[in-house]
Amino acid sequence: MANIANTNELKANKTGVSAKLIVRIVSITVVLALWEGIARSGLLYKDVVPTISAILYGIWEVLADPTFFRQAGVTLGEITLSVILGAATGITVGIILGSRPFFAKIFEPLLHYLAPTPKIIFFPLLIMWFGIGEGSKIAMGTISSFFPIVLSVASGMRHINPVYVRVGRSFRATAWQQATKIYIPAMRDPVVNGLRLAFGVSTIGVLLAETKFAQSGLGFMVTRYYQQFNMPSMYGIVLIIFAFAIFVNWLFGKLIVEETQ
Amino acid sequence: MKVNKKPAVSVGGASSEQPVLVVDKISKVYQTNSGSLIAVDGMSFSVNPQEVVSVIGPSGCGKSTLFNLIGGLTPPSSGKISVSGMPVNGPHPSISMVFQEESIFPWRNVVNNVAFPLEINGVPKAEREEHARRFIQMVGLEGFENHTPSQLSGGMRQRVAIARGLASEPKLLLMDEPFAALDEQTRLLLGDKVIQMQQELKQTILLITHNITEAIQLSDRIVVMSYRPGRLKRIIDIDLPRPRTSEIVSSEEFGRYVAMIWDDLREEASKGMAAADSARATT
Ligand SMILES: Nc1ncnc2c1ncn2[C@@H]1O[C@H](COP(=O)(O)OP(=O)(O)OP(=O)(O)O)[C@@H](O)[C@H]1O
Ligand SMILES: [Mg+2]
Repeated sequence: MANIANTNELKANKTGVSAKLIVRIVSITVVLALWEGIARSGLLYKDVVPTISAILYGIWEVLADPTFFRQAGVTLGEITLSVILGAATGITVGIILGSRPFFAKIFEPLLHYLAPTPKIIFFPLLIMWFGIGEGSKIAMGTISSFFPIVLSVASGMRHINPVYVRVGRSFRATAWQQATKIYIPAMRDPVVNGLRLAFGVSTIGVLLAETKFAQSGLGFMVTRYYQQFNMPSMYGIVLIIFAFAIFVNWLFGKLIVEETQ
Repeated sequence: MKVNKKPAVSVGGASSEQPVLVVDKISKVYQTNSGSLIAVDGMSFSVNPQEVVSVIGPSGCGKSTLFNLIGGLTPPSSGKISVSGMPVNGPHPSISMVFQEESIFPWRNVVNNVAFPLEINGVPKAEREEHARRFIQMVGLEGFENHTPSQLSGGMRQRVAIARGLASEPKLLLMDEPFAALDEQTRLLLGDKVIQMQQELKQTILLITHNITEAIQLSDRIVVMSYRPGRLKRIIDIDLPRPRTSEIVSSEEFGRYVAMIWDDLREEASKGMAAADSARATT
């Protein structure tokens, strides 16, 4: 009985997966066909909605641009540094909040209010403090990534099974050993999840900042193509950024899955 | 059958016969929202070298509180505890604790879990792993060294916890209902494993339990606790031949001990149930 139910479930699951795939392919094809149709119909301004082949050419043009990899490197560097700085501050503050209910009561409601606020409103200030160069972009990304990390670390800390901490105490682990051998491994999941969210918001923060006042970076390239009215290349670079974000997210996803296995 | 109405606290004497553990008029009062609660009230007893002593009592009588007091994780309200003559003010290197809850680290494999206390003491990796393997073997888990806890059964996980407790080579192994979550058969077989280990290491053990069979099967003496306040009701010597196996459970002698302890416990357990019922009625 159980076996039959199981195989039925499996079958249902299998058809579920392939059905999903079919729906996905069909919808992408439909969107692409619609796009191409609109582009070719001349209903909309041809430069605003370029044909797919024009966009593909745009992607190639962006990749062939000798400055592209340098600009991508700038952006990537800014994002990486933002996430590192955001993680360093976020994990530290998160551990303090998670272990000291007194501070948590005072500061955590504030953090919860600030977390969903678009951080771009701080950008004018950041420009005054760090200039229009990479400094203000990194600051922007750091502020963005700080919030998801600090909140997930603080709550992760509170959800640690207290018996693990008691085991550490009973074997007389030092505060440092408790932190590195118990708290951090026990919080791996929330930390990785926080980093993943941090990567997303700091990418948004950095790119958004680059489209405002900047002299380099992918966001800067997007605005430059826009100003040159080079729509195919603009779409091209947007798709490249999109693909990159999917890739990194997938990487974090793999990290989490490995942990739970 | 010998029944000591009075707990024998032998302090001093020949150094070889010095008790491993002395619990001297220990009390713990918790301050709760609904007033203060006396969890443990003036308990005194001692555990001699190589002895296995069980503490038995109904649920909520203060067994885990006593466990945490002896382990140094909870400061007593009054009274003194000493291990091999040294006072316990906080976790003591001569005591290992095996907790009631599942306590092995899910992010470490079996070897690294068992080697944890040695890692804390700064023993080099190769050395501590070799040492850990010895205790893994002793609890019958050879071949599972590199498994993660999620790949083991509940009984195997508790054996890992016991091996981890043994790995620091404590003078006293302190266990709080280590088999409470297991089924009866597994519990009896694990009891055999614990007896084997105890014989091999001459390990002094204080076992906290609410299971009568387990207490008689494993112990030289049984400390019976009363319910609210958690007091020492009496200490019972178990004069069953050693080495014992789980087969002893069906002997006539064993049955007499069960009846005797149940007689003591029934009174206390029904007090506990009445208290739980009235608590439910008022909420
Ligand atoms: N930290 C605490 N604060 C307040 N009361 C507590 C605390 N820990 C335990 N108690 C109370 O003290 C009493 C004894 O609890 P304890 O956990 O020692 O019992 P136990 O005998 O181990 O029970 P069980 O068999 O269910 O494990 C209980 O009434 C419990 O509610
Ligand atoms: Mg308990």
